[in-house]
Amino acid sequence: MGVSAPLLSAVGVLAGVVAVMVDGRRAVAIAVVFLAAGLMPTAATFGGAPGVAVLAGCAVAAVVFAWAGFVGGRRLPWVAGLDPTIPAFAPPERLFGPRSARAFSAAIAVPIASWVSFNIPVGQITTAVQGLLFPTAYAWTCGVIRLLLARTVEDLAVGVAMVSLSTGTAWLLRSGSDSLPGAVIACAATPVAALVAGWLAGRSTRRRPVAAEA
Amino acid sequence: MNPAVVAAVWAALGLAAAAVLRRRTARLVAFIPLAGAGLTLLATRSLAPVVPLGGLGAINGLDRAGQGLLVTAGISMALVIALHPTIDVSMARTIGVVGASVTLALASGDPLLTALALTAAVATLTLRWIGQAPGRATLAAGRIAGSGTAALIAASPFLPLSGFTTGPRPVVVGGLLVAGVAALLAIYPLGGWAAGILGVLRPLDVAPWIVLLVPTVLLIAERIPEGVLGDGVPVYEHILLVVGLGSAAWGGFWAFRGPARTRYGRIFMTDIALCIAAVGGTRNSPAVTGALIIVLSHLTLAPILLRPAEAGLVWPRRVAWALLSGVPPSPAFWGRFLLLEALAAGNVDSTIAAVVAMTGIFIATVMACSMRIARAPAAGWQARVPEAGAWLLVAAGIAIGLAPQSVSTFVFGS
Repeated sequence: MGVSAPLLSAVGVLAGVVAVMVDGRRAVAIAVVFLAAGLMPTAATFGGAPGVAVLAGCAVAAVVFAWAGFVGGRRLPWVAGLDPTIPAFAPPERLFGPRSARAFSAAIAVPIASWVSFNIPVGQITTAVQGLLFPTAYAWTCGVIRLLLARTVEDLAVGVAMVSLSTGTAWLLRSGSDSLPGAVIACAATPVAALVAGWLAGRSTRRRPVAAEA
Repeated sequence: MNPAVVAAVWAALGLAAAAVLRRRTARLVAFIPLAGAGLTLLATRSLAPVVPLGGLGAINGLDRAGQGLLVTAGISMALVIALHPTIDVSMARTIGVVGASVTLALASGDPLLTALALTAAVATLTLRWIGQAPGRATLAAGRIAGSGTAALIAASPFLPLSGFTTGPRPVVVGGLLVAGVAALLAIYPLGGWAAGILGVLRPLDVAPWIVLLVPTVLLIAERIPEGVLGDGVPVYEHILLVVGLGSAAWGGFWAFRGPARTRYGRIFMTDIALCIAAVGGTRNSPAVTGALIIVLSHLTLAPILLRPAEAGLVWPRRVAWALLSGVPPSPAFWGRFLLLEALAAGNVDSTIAAVVAMTGIFIATVMACSMRIARAPAAGWQARVPEAGAWLLVAAGIAIGLAPQSVSTFVFGS
């Protein structure tokens, strides 16, 4: 049975949109789980079972690391630090907010990813893949949009996780002997981003001691 | 010794120092980069230049120029800490991780590992900066520099380009590499974030970017066209030439027009923009030598000029500014002269923007030299130690100016 490129693309777009729009303390874990699920059909097509295992493992690791970071941040003694969900600056009042900008940019990412998919082959000359890069290119573009429009540290962590996961999937498309190790290395940044975001979230939810408040 | 071990020592020392040291012993943080520099001398040597454009591969060794750069940068970072009046112990974590990251980035011929190492460095710096001064400028560092490393990561699945030297693939890869380099070196139009952080952060917080990260990225950027980039080479070279020169002219203007506390950072950014325009845009021998001399001058003088002006060292600072002015025989003169020569060999018109930038730097250094600073006279031997160290650095700067080629060959091997 042949690969249904439109179906792969539709799933990828759906996952990318969820990942680019999600906010809150669990944003990294949610974005990673959705994106891994959305890119898994592509990974299964080109990387087989090991490819699926890389993305699934990455998603599980991100959730576990985010939770471990949160718990660790809450348990350790209180120190003044930054809350990853509080915007670093207050933008002026305007008609369209940051989420609108993200949604608009996610729409613009569709033709960009489409062009990349149909014009840029991935892999070596003998095994180059062309025309099926759309979900990966879309997820990467959405990750960069998330980074460029970031207002919080959580946004930055989500952006890093999206870029890392989409690049890992692109490595699976290379179909060489180094594609699987490359995918694992590229995806390694995802759990680290989840850990840092979880750690900062846990630290900032811990109650400030009375002495420190005084 | 494998460079990965050197990187592990950097990171371990940084994390341990941040946990163990207290305010009274904060100056011991200087031993982290010093230890990193010492171990780098023992690192395994790669005979060929390490160009991060190959396939996935192990980290085998540092080449001569990378080793020299890391040792000099480590010593310079240690001196920045030693000469700074107050040290925040938590800075040790940032210095350790950034030191480890740049070691891996320079030792890896794999674009993915290099990009991930640079991402780790940028992420660590950004978290530090946002924690110190939350605001638009520090968040922009994460946004723009983070996107730059994302571009470098994105280029990795398309490399190496063997068999794909024509068509859109090398052009897109060249564009991604340019975006990454420009964002990390803070070249306009991707350089506003660095100008912002120079104004809101303490010099010591910006020092790891100036001393460790920027020279590393500059060296990597210089090597990229040596790899197989095919049709991507003109994209890479032409864009870097144009944005580098534009950035240098703009930076030169703001070096004397901007506030005094950001003056050194602005001059540094202008010099780096000139270097990247020359080494990225023209790729001939004088450009590389000139860029290495400029980097060496800044690594020598940064410990003095990153120290706040109010904290003393009036005369060593004045001489250091003079050494950066570009008046012969200062080291900056030889470096910029070689850059001009390289630019003229490529395109004579491009030297106009470079001369404008150099004029701006000259005016800024003259203004800095003539600035009067009111401060209490130093008393006791403890106040004299930083002054003696600063004069030693000034002497090293003069030595570079008197024998630039020999010193550059001694440090970088070329």
